[in-house]
Amino acid sequence: MANKRPKIAVIWFPGQNCEDESKLVCEFAGMKADIIVVNSSVDPKILEQYDGFFIGGGWSYEDRIRAGAIAAKDPIMLKIKEEAKKGKVVLGVCNGAQILVETGIIPGLRDKVQLALAPNTNPKVFGYYNTWVYVKHECKKTNAFNLAGIDEVLHIPVAHGEGRFTTTDKELIKQLIKNEQILFRYCDEDGNIDEKYPINPNGAVYNIAGITNKEGNVLAIMPHPERASWNKQLPYFEQHNFEENEKAAPCMKLFESIRMYLEKRMK
Amino acid sequence: MKGHETGNRQEKADNNSAKNEVDNSELVNISEMNDKELAEFLKKNAISLKLNEARKIVELIGRNPTITELHIFNIQWSEHSSYKSSKNSLKLLPTTGPTVILGPKEDAGILKLDDEYGIVISHESHNHPSQVVPYEGAATGIGGNVRDVLCMGAKVIGGADPLRFGDALSESKSVSNRTKYIASQVINGIATYGNAIGVPVIAGDIYMNSSFNDNCLVNVVHIGLIKNNEIIHSCAPENSVGYDVIVIGKPTDNSGFGGAAFASLILDEKDKENNRGAVQVPDPFLKNVLMRASYKVFEAARKAKVSLGFKDCGAGGIMCATSELGASGDVGIELNLDDFPVSMQNLPSYVIACSETQERFCWIAPKNFTQKILDIYNKEFELPNVAEGACAKVIGKVIAEKRYRLLFNGKTVCNADIHAITEGIRYNRESKAPDEHKEDKKGNNNNKQNKTSEPELIDTADFNSPLLDVLKLPQIASKYTVYEHYDNTVQANTIIRCGEADAGLIAPLPGKKYGVALKVDSNPRYNRVNPYHGAVNAIAEVMRNIAAVGATPIGLTDCLNYGNPEKPEQFWQFLEGIRGLSDGAKNIWVKGTTNAVPFVSGNVSFYNESANGKSIDPSPIVACVGRMEDYSKAITMKIKKIGSGLYLVGPRKNELGGSAYYELFDELGTNLPKTDFAQERNMIYGVIDAINQRLLFACHDISDGGLMVAVTEMILGGKGEGKIGASLLLNDDLKTSALLFSESSGFVMEIEDKNFAAAEKAFARYDVDLIKIGETGGDYLIVNHNDNEVINLDIAALKDAWMNGFGDAMK
Repeated sequence: MANKRPKIAVIWFPGQNCEDESKLVCEFAGMKADIIVVNSSVDPKILEQYDGFFIGGGWSYEDRIRAGAIAAKDPIMLKIKEEAKKGKVVLGVCNGAQILVETGIIPGLRDKVQLALAPNTNPKVFGYYNTWVYVKHECKKTNAFNLAGIDEVLHIPVAHGEGRFTTTDKELIKQLIKNEQILFRYCDEDGNIDEKYPINPNGAVYNIAGITNKEGNVLAIMPHPERASWNKQLPYFEQHNFEENEKAAPCMKLFESIRMYLEKRMK
Repeated sequence: MKGHETGNRQEKADNNSAKNEVDNSELVNISEMNDKELAEFLKKNAISLKLNEARKIVELIGRNPTITELHIFNIQWSEHSSYKSSKNSLKLLPTTGPTVILGPKEDAGILKLDDEYGIVISHESHNHPSQVVPYEGAATGIGGNVRDVLCMGAKVIGGADPLRFGDALSESKSVSNRTKYIASQVINGIATYGNAIGVPVIAGDIYMNSSFNDNCLVNVVHIGLIKNNEIIHSCAPENSVGYDVIVIGKPTDNSGFGGAAFASLILDEKDKENNRGAVQVPDPFLKNVLMRASYKVFEAARKAKVSLGFKDCGAGGIMCATSELGASGDVGIELNLDDFPVSMQNLPSYVIACSETQERFCWIAPKNFTQKILDIYNKEFELPNVAEGACAKVIGKVIAEKRYRLLFNGKTVCNADIHAITEGIRYNRESKAPDEHKEDKKGNNNNKQNKTSEPELIDTADFNSPLLDVLKLPQIASKYTVYEHYDNTVQANTIIRCGEADAGLIAPLPGKKYGVALKVDSNPRYNRVNPYHGAVNAIAEVMRNIAAVGATPIGLTDCLNYGNPEKPEQFWQFLEGIRGLSDGAKNIWVKGTTNAVPFVSGNVSFYNESANGKSIDPSPIVACVGRMEDYSKAITMKIKKIGSGLYLVGPRKNELGGSAYYELFDELGTNLPKTDFAQERNMIYGVIDAINQRLLFACHDISDGGLMVAVTEMILGGKGEGKIGASLLLNDDLKTSALLFSESSGFVMEIEDKNFAAAEKAFARYDVDLIKIGETGGDYLIVNHNDNEVINLDIAALKDAWMNGFGDAMK
């Protein structure tokens, strides 16, 4: 059916706090979305009816042990891993990204955890840090997240205490670059990469803000695209009328791309 | 916890002897104790009731109280719970008007956004706990305030945190170190709790001075969104006899037992260790889950068309919540303490009933809806797996007799008239103006020799270094390092973030045009000079702040932080503060009406003084909610274009009293900014109209630091990212220091030439003149006063002082 809209499951682990806006942005981009409240009686099989999964921000299970570590072991995540293998889309934002890294699905080159999201190194603000940054899209390979075309430089907020992508495996970053898995990197307003604060807000290796799996259907991104998907959300978007304010901002293309990818897949 | 009410009700207690029975072994034989014995008994049991108060209980309930009842009255009659010193005076505040849906009666007030939606607002203090254990104190302050908004049935959509700390720059290392420790821990506590529950912080301020060395202020404001026909009251619903009483959340322990009584004591450094137990333990993770589960219950109740009562457990714990739920519905409550979920064994009955364990609420629900509530909390949101022992559980029922009855181990340990428990007591405290404030019959102050004097300072040739020094003061300097520690973009509805403008703004209804603005204000130094004018200024400034983004002030809340009400001179400050708030609110009308901007919620915090008996600077901290018809018309303070005109409304006056400029010279002065109500209204209305006609590019109110700080902040923007400077040409007979730094009320606006005529007309409607003071452009701030260059500074120098001032003070 041509007008059948893809269905997204917005996964809510106890302690997460971005579920409403995550649902809203999916709907605005032309998809259906349900919030799935995770508890021990939820049958992971219910996820089979969804085309994609959005794991949002917050503190799943209070970030006990490490951010994302407990949720990564939840049967729901094992199921999502399975579903991703079928080519369904998985988007993890902030705490969602931390969970995807903790499951190993990102970067997913080997069946183990290869990356970590370590505490920010920030000379001004210790711990949790919420500000607006710029990220650069420099991936030429088409994946589920850039099908709709995407601006080279995006203005987007970060809001986390542990967002520093890091690894002990020196070869891994080279591999990720080669595979074109690094989707977004922190940069300045003009797209220049500078490894220092405040351009790089958390000290992430290679200024990494977002990484996909090799197949390009799973994305872990630390900044919050759902908080930069409408013009009204952008700082100093003044002197425009209401209609202009309510229109999609550049980050909405990420969600439109997910819809296009899923529509194609459903055909 | 319930805010202050302004109403008055006195009912005769129902002491019919047949209903009045309790287990005799529980009775405390007060009527046969002499004063000495009674005093010893009270002290031994950590009960802070005065002797006459303890004896009054016997009279009120018609027999000796049980030990449980004695503890209950101890809490209910504390200043914190009963507003015993303040209630009579609070009646002065205006609380009604066309913007009010619910005035100060329940846990939070409600303001009208439109016919369909309302904004819930609550304002609380958590001062003493934050001084003793700052991280937990501030975090539980957030937690308690959020519960007040939530329990009206609202989604919590924004918060603001006005903070007052001691002198971080004190020469005494112990004072400055302790201040910095408290400040950083409080900020961290707010961030950790507020961020986890997912409520954006959209406004706040920080002042630091030595009056707060021994007693910091942590005030918290939250707002929520509600449909006007879906309000859940903190009251047993009609015909609710037989309904279940359900407690939800964390299992009861002994934490925070006596917290309300603790809030009403003077802090003594020596007792710090003993007081720690009175501070509650925060659990933001559990609160996050409880909030979402409660939203689900709201939804389920709407669908099932069921009326419920809902109240948070704050001061006085389950006892206070359930007795107020019952009393306000004019029904009785019977609870079985053996059914309470507890996490500690062998707790005495009064601790189970009154402990202030965090993250708990009470529902009153019809029996056929109880299972639904239990399932949402216990099964769907799995409270028992979220925190050990957390759950939803039935603990009692609503009864027809208007009694408050507690059963424990097969005994009746409390059985009193429910209204007697909730009614509280009143005091008419004595007030006395300090000598320097005494006025003769004509209202003139002739005590010149006692008056703090206005300093005679000689102006320097240039004002570059005074401006940089003012910009570095902790209360003036940018707080971006604090704001960036708070999540201000969660919920994805934030339009103007902390620090970008005079007020924060959110668009809480996706796809709809409404904007809701929030701001807090109160200048400690003004209040030190004069508690009346300090309060008036707080109202005027908070409304200017709301107007400066383009929103219309529709309602206020207050948190009245004062010293010891038992000391006549400190109580006088409180009364003067209320008089000031009342005059301000009654004279700066809701735009388009002659109605006062109403207070819909509030809180009183007394006993804010150091161990040596000195009060903090009187702090009537106010919050204001503004409504915008179309949020897309809102503007920030940052200069947008090169070549625009900069205009002033509000002529400069010689009003340097209490100013930041005087602070540089360690002076206080006396010439406070005096509010001219007609002019204040007119300026505010003119600014709102001009912004809503899209005639302004930027707008900033003039307050702390005067005209120069206002213009500098417009150049720098919220985070020092501004790149467009300004040149000012000021022709004025005032002396330069007063012209540049006087904090007389007013606004500075950026207006493009093509909009000038229309803007002039918008202000002319209110008889307000636009005074051109300069133009935007360059990478500097140049100021000429009567042809003399008095300031010439690069943006980089301004930025360095303003951006690093706060961080340097906290180093």
